[in-house]
Amino acid sequence: MRILVAEDDALSRTLLERTLQRAGYAVISVENGAQAIAELVKEDAPRLALLDWIMPEVDGVEVCRELRRRKEQAYTYLILLSSRESKEDIVAGLESGADDYLTKPFNVDELKARLRTGLRILELEDHLVEARESMRFQATHDLLTSLWNRGVIVELMTHEIMRSRRERSCTSVMMCDIDHFKAVNDQYGHATGDDVLREVARRLHNSVRSYDMVGRYGGEEFLVALNKCNPGSAISRAENLRNKIAGRPIQTANKPVSVTISIGLALSTEFTECTIEEIMHHADMALYAAKAAGRNCVRVARPSGIGTPTAEQPKETQVLTP
Amino acid sequence: MKMWKHGRSLADEPARQPKWALKELIDRLDGDREFLRELLVIFRQDLRVNLQKSHEAIRKSDYEQLSRAAHTMKGMLRNLSMDVAGETAAALETASRESRGSDSKELLESLEKELEEILPEVEAQLAGVRS
Repeated sequence: MRILVAEDDALSRTLLERTLQRAGYAVISVENGAQAIAELVKEDAPRLALLDWIMPEVDGVEVCRELRRRKEQAYTYLILLSSRESKEDIVAGLESGADDYLTKPFNVDELKARLRTGLRILELEDHLVEARESMRFQATHDLLTSLWNRGVIVELMTHEIMRSRRERSCTSVMMCDIDHFKAVNDQYGHATGDDVLREVARRLHNSVRSYDMVGRYGGEEFLVALNKCNPGSAISRAENLRNKIAGRPIQTANKPVSVTISIGLALSTEFTECTIEEIMHHADMALYAAKAAGRNCVRVARPSGIGTPTAEQPKETQVLTP
Repeated sequence: MKMWKHGRSLADEPARQPKWALKELIDRLDGDREFLRELLVIFRQDLRVNLQKSHEAIRKSDYEQLSRAAHTMKGMLRNLSMDVAGETAAALETASRESRGSDSKELLESLEKELEEILPEVEAQLAGVRS
């Protein structure tokens, strides 16, 4: 474990360094409070610090205040070293954000015991942060596929469409649904069905850019939002997603399973007057049209007129008006 | 390594506090005499600097500088188990913080007298460990 020692008196500093090294700590020593702050705000800073109370310019109490003011980093356990013994000083020290204090000259066993207390607190903090992060992940992600869950993907997409309207760019909304998924479950069982969902999720996720968004919308339905999408290439990108699924069978624990997806596509630039819910409804209608057209195809929602497939558009793609 | 011997009865206390509890210090350093020498070299040098600063501060009636120097000396002396001189340095720190000029001057003189008794022992230790 690494520990920072801030002490202006060379003799005390040397004594502390040696004592801590003997106790198994890797010691970083500095001579004043300003250097202590510089060390403790580094990305890979030590999480334990022994700070002399009285140091020139920036004293130990100031170091505590400054570090507690910056809340963005991991918790640092701060022990003030002081030869002062009055209660008022101790209270002032602890109120500045110190976790503990030791009076000098220090008793070695007491120093070690108090550092062990610090380590326990840091360990506890690490566990709490880990648990919080895990809960945050669980609250925002779908447990089976690890994609964004429905609530989050809709929220993220909403923000993205609002942004694209401000920036006059286009967000492409795709409702993707695995074709005949019930048959997969019926034929191979739910465990295989889960394998298929996981793999479809993985392929979708790996087929978009890092700033695009993929979420699980429902049972076998996925919502993909492509940010700053060129409207002219939206169809080919939807086709690309479709091909990623249809292109090769999915290796499940049982056996390879071939599945396809149908995609309903809506471009935010085509529905500038619509609410988010309405855009999603249009994408959903396009998905129904894709299903009705025989599945494993893309259908595009347009606000007016029924589009017909052009030469550039694959035959699976048709443009429709909901 | 112990700073204080717990469980020692009052009857065991020496009638007069020793100027330098060297044995206690060596125990605290786990018998590492080479490290003791290292600390004493720092002590000798920093003590000289801080005594000079103290005299200068008294001449200029700069009580802030005096209290800082006294504070540093107090820490060094206590760390080296030189408790009698450490207490005098603590009294000097308090007197200077309260800007008590004549008390400060007297305490600095007392401190130097106490140090005069210790420094030959420090030199002996440095010589002894070297040989």
